[in-house]
Amino acid sequence: MAIFPAKLHLHLLLASFNIVSVFLLTAGSESESVLVNDLLALQSQSTSGVIHLDDSTVSRFLASTTAPRPYSLLIFFDAAQLHDKTELRLKELRKEFGLLASSFIENNNRSTKLFFCDIEFRESQSSFHLFGVKSFPHIGLVGEAARSMKDDSEQMDQSYFSLMAESMAEFVEARTKLTVGTIHRPPIFSKQQLTVIVPILLIWSQFMFKKIFTRETLLLDPKAWLAGAVFVYFFSVSGAMHNIIRNMPMFLVDRNDPSKLIFFYQGSGIQLGAEGFFIGFLYTVVGLLLAFVTHFLVWVKDTTVKRVAMIFVMLVSFWAVNKVISLDNWKTGYVVHAFWPSKWN
Amino acid sequence: MTPPPSFCISPKSSLPQSTQANHLNRNVNWPSMAAPETSTAIAATPTTNGTTLRHAFGNVLSFFILLLIGVLAFSIRLFSVIKYESIIHEFDPYFNYRVTQFLSKNGIYEFWNWFDDRTWYPLGRVIGGTVYPGLTLTAGTIWWLLNSLNIPLSVETVCVFTAPIFSAFASWATYLLTKEVKGPGAGLTAAALLAMVPSYISRSVAGSYDNEAVAIFALIFTFYLYIKTLNTGSLFYATLNALAYFYMVCSWGGYTFIINLIPMHVLLCIVTGRYSPRLYIAYAPLVVLGTVLAALVPVVGFNAVMTSEHFASFLVFIVIHVVAFVYYIKGILSPKMFKMAVTLVVSVGLVVCCAVIAVLVALVASSPTKGWSGRSLSLLDPTYASKYIPIIASVSEHQPPTWPSYFMDINVLAFLVPAGIIACFSPLSDASSFVVLYIVTSVYFSGVMVRLMLVLAPAACILSGIALSQAFDVFTRSIKFQLPSLTMNSEVDEQGSNPVTVEGQTEVTKTDKSGVTLKERPSRKNKKKEKEQLEKPSVKSKAEKKRLLVLPLEASVIALLLLVLLGGFYVVHCVWAAAEAYSAPSIVLTSHSHDGLHVFDDFREAYAWLSHNTDVDDKVASWWDYGYQTTAMANRTVIVDNNTWNNTHIATVGTAMSSPEKAAWEIFNSLDVKYVLVVFGGLVGYPSDDINKFLWMVRIGGGVFPHIKEPDYLRDGQYRIDSQATPTMLNCLMYKLSYYRFVETDGKAFDRVRRTEIGKKYFKLSHFEEVFTTHHWMVRIYKLKPQKNRIRGKMKKSKSKSKSTSSSKRSGTLKKNPWQ
Repeated sequence: MAIFPAKLHLHLLLASFNIVSVFLLTAGSESESVLVNDLLALQSQSTSGVIHLDDSTVSRFLASTTAPRPYSLLIFFDAAQLHDKTELRLKELRKEFGLLASSFIENNNRSTKLFFCDIEFRESQSSFHLFGVKSFPHIGLVGEAARSMKDDSEQMDQSYFSLMAESMAEFVEARTKLTVGTIHRPPIFSKQQLTVIVPILLIWSQFMFKKIFTRETLLLDPKAWLAGAVFVYFFSVSGAMHNIIRNMPMFLVDRNDPSKLIFFYQGSGIQLGAEGFFIGFLYTVVGLLLAFVTHFLVWVKDTTVKRVAMIFVMLVSFWAVNKVISLDNWKTGYVVHAFWPSKWN
Repeated sequence: MTPPPSFCISPKSSLPQSTQANHLNRNVNWPSMAAPETSTAIAATPTTNGTTLRHAFGNVLSFFILLLIGVLAFSIRLFSVIKYESIIHEFDPYFNYRVTQFLSKNGIYEFWNWFDDRTWYPLGRVIGGTVYPGLTLTAGTIWWLLNSLNIPLSVETVCVFTAPIFSAFASWATYLLTKEVKGPGAGLTAAALLAMVPSYISRSVAGSYDNEAVAIFALIFTFYLYIKTLNTGSLFYATLNALAYFYMVCSWGGYTFIINLIPMHVLLCIVTGRYSPRLYIAYAPLVVLGTVLAALVPVVGFNAVMTSEHFASFLVFIVIHVVAFVYYIKGILSPKMFKMAVTLVVSVGLVVCCAVIAVLVALVASSPTKGWSGRSLSLLDPTYASKYIPIIASVSEHQPPTWPSYFMDINVLAFLVPAGIIACFSPLSDASSFVVLYIVTSVYFSGVMVRLMLVLAPAACILSGIALSQAFDVFTRSIKFQLPSLTMNSEVDEQGSNPVTVEGQTEVTKTDKSGVTLKERPSRKNKKKEKEQLEKPSVKSKAEKKRLLVLPLEASVIALLLLVLLGGFYVVHCVWAAAEAYSAPSIVLTSHSHDGLHVFDDFREAYAWLSHNTDVDDKVASWWDYGYQTTAMANRTVIVDNNTWNNTHIATVGTAMSSPEKAAWEIFNSLDVKYVLVVFGGLVGYPSDDINKFLWMVRIGGGVFPHIKEPDYLRDGQYRIDSQATPTMLNCLMYKLSYYRFVETDGKAFDRVRRTEIGKKYFKLSHFEEVFTTHHWMVRIYKLKPQKNRIRGKMKKSKSKSKSTSSSKRSGTLKKNPWQ
């Protein structure tokens, strides 16, 4: 008989254990739903739907939770002090990230599967350490099953940044199996602006048409065309397209001596903005001066004026051509030489 | 300021042709200022023998100058032949050469229907329908002509010298074009400048047998004929113009530049009130005939009417008809009636235009790229390519140029062009406005893509030629009329007569415009008479007027010297560029060192080995860069080539090169590949070898086959092949084929390109065997080992045997198997 009570004890013990464990489990899921609710609340507080994280919230939502979590986080690692470095494009990317977030939230009706967050470097350095972020730009996805922030989070590849929010969406769709849907970009002009612009345009176009029909526009003034043509020429030979496409700055600050500015970059593949405009000016000014001499100076009556002007023009042109040649040799490293008969050597 | 619409001037004005002769006469030495004098033309005096002689002399002189310019254009491009040898250059020219060979051997019909099974195995490629046939047909015709004249030149020789010959043609075409714009003096200067402009030399040295070689000639010639039609209003030239355009379409994809530039000019003329019947004749036949002809070229086909690149021309075609109609109505109605009619006509015209535009927009919007090809889009929006099309953005010749590129490619012309632009505006004619439009668009496009510098070069030459010849004109005139010996017998009160000359000159400019724009052709008999009548007085009065527009003598002399110096610098630069920068054929390499000249002829060595030692149907795999050369020189079938039309196929080869040996063997075996060719520069320091291109293979391979991941080949984001390299990198096929037995060369396996010792020095190949390595190790050819027998016992046996025996013996043992 003595065996029974023992068995009963065992049963009771097991039962109580089960109850406790069930309690524990429900407590866990409750806290998870609390977390999700908190995230949703935070999300609704921000305008674009990107939750701003810091060290404490990172530990709360990620580090102290156990995998699998009911949500994934896509985190944009931001650094305010690097915003002025245009080559990193942090500001631009952050904006696109915001677009992605707001579009996702709008398309998925406040889904609780994925949240978009950003962290600032100065505020939360330990989180950056936790994720092992070494370079910018960095966008990381912490999946539901990620245990270690450093090893299991997936970094978005550089190639996904290139096409802005649309390509980021591709990354998200590929990794989380969620659909982002179309990106909702704000129109270039808001409705209010449009209500102002459209009537102005309409009114202006009336005048424009009248002017065209009465032939009073700049269109018929050759000087305007001339100025335009010379400007396009100046703009192109100065390599401005290169500066626009490559986002080149006008000048650089010397790394060794911050008080110095670098205007000229050695190496033919790259040029700085100011450098290009300076050379473009030199390219253009010689031709303009030559045209000045051949087309305008010949009409001047006074011989001394002619003489002085010509000497000035020749000096400036000579200097400009010389300057370009020497700068070109310095920049490219080419040494142009003539070929003489070998007897002369 | 409004220029009078030129159609108001009676088309029966009598002077033109004689003035043209006048141009010739005066402008051999002092070009371009020549202007017809209408007011003095009436006073006819008997001609002297002197002026006729000067005419004849001027004509003969310009003929010989042109001949010399042609010789210059041809000979400056021969540096590559003299320094290296008469050989086709680089990659694409080899394909063109092969096509030309096929054409000369099998005739045009076979060529038109040619399906090439030697490339893109097992897919093949339709050649006849996918190439611009202009270049091939041109060279083929030249070869056929020479052979029928019993001049037995080889096809290769003809191909090598096609580009220099067409450069000479191009400079003559430039002469014609510039002559139409600003007279023969400017024409000669422009032709001389074009003959040696570095940008054009870079694409047309002897051996550079590519489309651009003939296309630039076609481009300039088409423009010349357009301007000629515009000046004469002759349907004959309009027809020729359409034919020249057809030749351009046959030759180069850049023909879209023409079919957009000419409509732009027409639109510009209309907007600025310069519409004339000549404009209509110059434009309408070109669009109709040109489009029909363009559609005949298989590679263009229906694109000529269906892509947005051509829509501008159709739109302007409609606009010009509307405008022509308006002017017609204006002509037959009284002003009052016209005013009433204009509202009706304009509104109807606008409705029609709107409807057509709406249709066009709908058509364009329905296509995914809005009907524009990526390249054209990146021209309109320069940042487009860098954002959306990395494959276009990655090509080096699609980069935006920096200022040194301009100095390298058009040199001092960059300084002269603004002066030329201003010269074109004083006075502005239809022809000169076209040249201005040409330079503005081309300089903008060249700013977006360095490759289009080639289109800019002729425009820069034309405008610089105009500027130079005008400057020479002014300075030499100043010297001529102020030299002490001359001033004695020509004392003119400069101060007093100045206001008169100003007036006279403005009149001159006005009449000049009508003179240039309105070149009607009187009958030849009349022409001669008029010529005689006009010459003397016009020359005389002009001389008087010019005498007053002078600059100080000594300043003019110095300015002249400076201009000559500038020209001299241009010549030195061009010769240097032709000799040093643009003449390397890149198939034979040379290097100068302290112990003399080294020649690296490894590529041809390897291709010769392939053609002599392999079976004619064997398939050779290599990275796509070498596809054209392998088919042309070794006559072996390749898997991929430089016509990168099938990305998946290229990715397959990329994946094979990035995979470990066994996987690579399986891929290659599935493609029936027998030999694998790799280019390796580590021994001699040749930087554009396969190891340096390898990351592209990984990227392109990974783009289609995701199991190839770029990070696997990078250590901390860095591409390296030394001991720090990743195991994936050290085990991939490309690494192994490149560095196999490399350690035997110097004992350390030091790679001279990457400047480091390689990571894995001693290894054996299990699935490939080395069959040939060239003298400098630049090309290495491997053979796929035959598949092993599957019978277990036998495999073990052969394995144990192979361990002890060399590879040749092993193949001997395998041959015992009757099924192999």
